[in-house]
Amino acid sequence: MTTKSILESFTQKGILPEEQAILIAEYERTKSFSIHRELRAILYLGITLLTTGLGILIYKNIDTIGHQAIIALIAVSILACFYYLFKHAQPFSKGIIKNTEPFSEYVLILGCTLFLLLEGYLQYQYEFFGTRYGIAIFIPTVLFFLCAYRFDNRAVLSMAITGLASWLGLTISPLSVLEKNDFTAPGIIITSIVLGVLLVVISWLSEKSDWKSHFRFTYILFGGNLAAIAGLAGLFNNDPKIIYFLITAALCTFLIQTARKTQSLLFLLMGVIYGYIAVTYAAFIFLPDSILAGLSIFYFLFTSVGVLLFLLNVKKILGLKK
Amino acid sequence: MKKAYNELWITNLNIQNISRSWHRKNLITTKQLEQITIDFPEAFYKPGIFVKTGLFLFTILAGSFFSGFISLFFLENSTDKIFTVISIVCAVSYFFALEYSIKDRKLFHSGIDNALLYMAEVATLIPVFLTFEHLKIWQYCLIILVVNSVLLIRYADILIAFISVGALYVMFANIIIASPQLKPFLPFFLMLISAVIYYFNKVNYGVYYANCQTVIKIFSLVVFYLGGNYYVVREGNALLSDLRTPIAPQIPFSLLFYILTTAIPLIFIFFGLRNKDRILLIIGLLTTAFSVFTYCYYFDIIPVEIILTVAGLALILLTIFLINYLKTPKFGVSDEKDDSQNFANLEAIIIAHQFGQSPAGDQLHFGGGDFGGGGAGISY
Repeated sequence: MTTKSILESFTQKGILPEEQAILIAEYERTKSFSIHRELRAILYLGITLLTTGLGILIYKNIDTIGHQAIIALIAVSILACFYYLFKHAQPFSKGIIKNTEPFSEYVLILGCTLFLLLEGYLQYQYEFFGTRYGIAIFIPTVLFFLCAYRFDNRAVLSMAITGLASWLGLTISPLSVLEKNDFTAPGIIITSIVLGVLLVVISWLSEKSDWKSHFRFTYILFGGNLAAIAGLAGLFNNDPKIIYFLITAALCTFLIQTARKTQSLLFLLMGVIYGYIAVTYAAFIFLPDSILAGLSIFYFLFTSVGVLLFLLNVKKILGLKK
Repeated sequence: MKKAYNELWITNLNIQNISRSWHRKNLITTKQLEQITIDFPEAFYKPGIFVKTGLFLFTILAGSFFSGFISLFFLENSTDKIFTVISIVCAVSYFFALEYSIKDRKLFHSGIDNALLYMAEVATLIPVFLTFEHLKIWQYCLIILVVNSVLLIRYADILIAFISVGALYVMFANIIIASPQLKPFLPFFLMLISAVIYYFNKVNYGVYYANCQTVIKIFSLVVFYLGGNYYVVREGNALLSDLRTPIAPQIPFSLLFYILTTAIPLIFIFFGLRNKDRILLIIGLLTTAFSVFTYCYYFDIIPVEIILTVAGLALILLTIFLINYLKTPKFGVSDEKDDSQNFANLEAIIIAHQFGQSPAGDQLHFGGGDFGGGGAGISY
């Protein structure tokens, strides 16, 4: 099946007039090969390599290059980045800013990463913040939040949220939320749940007030994952279990509700998987042993078939359009 | 062999997708697109990637507990024979469910059918492996290849395609390694096999197998490159000859492999751009990175941080130059933004993972990619 045969079948059925088919065939023949995404990926790789290389370079030569020289160099680079950004920036808007200048996003990421580098350097060499490490993380977090909203950048927003979490002593990058956090520590579960729920609330508010409503996805992804995993960890390790179960269940319901409203199936999946784990665990904890003995053989078979039926008919049940 | 999925619908689906891309470019009107959707109908159940993931996971869960349920009947004695019986019963049930879900629920690679297919395959292979113990590796590979090829022709699943090609390579490699005369030429044989596979894969077998052909193409290109890569050949040679030296010894024809390591990625990129073949281009870029790694690994005269800095700077400058250069398309290559898929959210997550701050002890460390923040939780 080629473009030509498709176009022929279209003209035969009378969907397209002959001239339009010729036009489309001409377009298909001459259309250019876009390497937009590949170029952006290489650019991003370049920024990663450069900042990594510079970091190691400074770290190794910390005694030979003048400290002031290094600090001045990084500071000048940051200023250059932000000068570029403000020069090319679109005016602030509450919605999505479209038609941004092609490099802005990458210059912003470069600037923000260099800022972290500068701050780390100041602290390492001069103990700039003394032992108040909290401030050292809090400053870039605030800066990143401002940048994210000013330049409408979801990547920097994600960096700001992870910064906020690490200010509280958490790791919440979606790929490492499980492996890097020690959920057996008592305080961390409460902190995680509070922060996670807070992020979910912010996502709800930004949707409600129409303030950067496209940031909602980022907030809810970080917050929802964090709160749900922390809730499950609490359910497994801590007492009273019923409280943690209720929190997790409420969160999963909210995620499924959000999926329904925003047509986002990622939240649906999160809600279903976390919910399934919570309900299964709760069933095995709370139910008396006599019921459990009969239940355990069939439970997984029938519930997973139930979930499958739910997911298969999710469009009808939740009224999703997609 | 008869194909499992409705071929007409797959063709129509492809027509609809192409029409949609024309619609995005304003080549056809919305009304015409609607007419096309009516005239070329399909009724597959195609959920999004996330629902698909959920369906896949829960099918695996249900399937494994189903097999557990079946084995309850045979609890008394657990010999190989019993295992064979259980596997056959499971395989038949999985295949039955698979056919039912495709025919009746109109699934089309939507998680459930993928999971059922994989479980059915495993359940089919278990009795075979239990019956024929102590075979040579290539004989096992041949069995896997035959079973997978049959499944591939009927279901056109990409993982099945992947396993088939993998089994084919392992089979040949095993035969070649077993013979002392042929063993030194293993890299060349692998490249030859890749070239043959690539050549036969170039034939258009229709939309039904389009994705599988892509997988086979990627596989053969990557193996072709690795067969000629200096690092892989040198380390592989040391591994196969069981030479336990800290540094792998030099290999014969080293100059040839140096040339291949440099030339293959460049050829891939060149033909990728010339033939407008995105897969070739991307594999060319990735293999270029691996070639750079190969050279850095054996020639570590320049310290790694200087390489990183210079390479990073060079890449940034190169891309900025290319983006500016391609503002108007040159030689049929352009820098046009493709709005068809929005990866903004995904990008943000990856960047946060890369540059995100993470608490690490109570001291500030710093380095490029990973910025360690300070302080854990409640200590302050």
